[in-house]
Amino acid sequence: MKISTRGRYGVRLLIDLAEHLDEPHIPLFDISKRQNISARYLEQVAVILRRAGFIKSIKGPYGGYTLAKNPQDIIIGDVLRALEGDMLIVDPPEPDQPESKLKKCIRTTVYDRLNARIASVIDRKTLAAIVGTVDPEDSYMYFI
Amino acid sequence: MRISTRGRYSIEALLYLALLPQDEYASTSAISRETGISDGYLEQLFISLKKNNIITGIRGAQGGYKLSRTANLISIGEILRIAEGSLEPVACLSEKDCPSGALCRSRHTWQELYEEIADCVDSISLADLVTAYKKMDVEGYVI
Repeated sequence: MKISTRGRYGVRLLIDLAEHLDEPHIPLFDISKRQNISARYLEQVAVILRRAGFIKSIKGPYGGYTLAKNPQDIIIGDVLRALEGDMLIVDPPEPDQPESKLKKCIRTTVYDRLNARIASVIDRKTLAAIVGTVDPEDSYMYFI
Repeated sequence: MRISTRGRYSIEALLYLALLPQDEYASTSAISRETGISDGYLEQLFISLKKNNIITGIRGAQGGYKLSRTANLISIGEILRIAEGSLEPVACLSEKDCPSGALCRSRHTWQELYEEIADCVDSISLADLVTAYKKMDVEGYVI
């Protein structure tokens, strides 16, 4: 029941871009160094995020990536669904397959509810909110 | 972000046991017939469920398995932790030596997601599933 590496790295890539909005384009190489993620892997993640419309790229010697939308318009749930395929806890029931009573009972009592709770967290969170919040208790000593 | 087969099958087998009359034992082949989970897989799942005092088994011709506790004392969260391990959506939440540590911007979000997941599955018990199952009888269940 884990979010994949792709999902986690994709979110970090967006956070890094959101934290450097003052720079016109960020080369992946810089993000790779800052985030300690291999540039090759970051490239794959960037392709998905670009196709999904979260980031845009500029080619050339001063090229790189930048956010395609304002951080407050980027919903983390949408980002995770683009990277992970979906954010469901079990495969959705097949429409033409009969579902046993036992399975249906568990789906409606547990899985549907859990899916809704997960969606409620990730769909109310924007990239802007993430960049603006580090747990104040944890970060206290770093910022005095 | 799927629950593994192990987790799903554990819940299914335990709901089957929870629906039995009190003190009745069920063989793995009976559970297998109802759920479609193979005997061998059930035996494998039951090793850790026995160890964690969720079910009790007896040997013999009339042998089989039953719940060790009443269904209201077994939560979905407990079952999933036994079957799946930690419920954290990312492994780094419990790592003390994360290089980004307190400055990690995404950790807060993962933590919130974890708390929501844990709160949800810990608040549903096997007894809730039994109630929901019986309610389906009343409402009429059509395949």
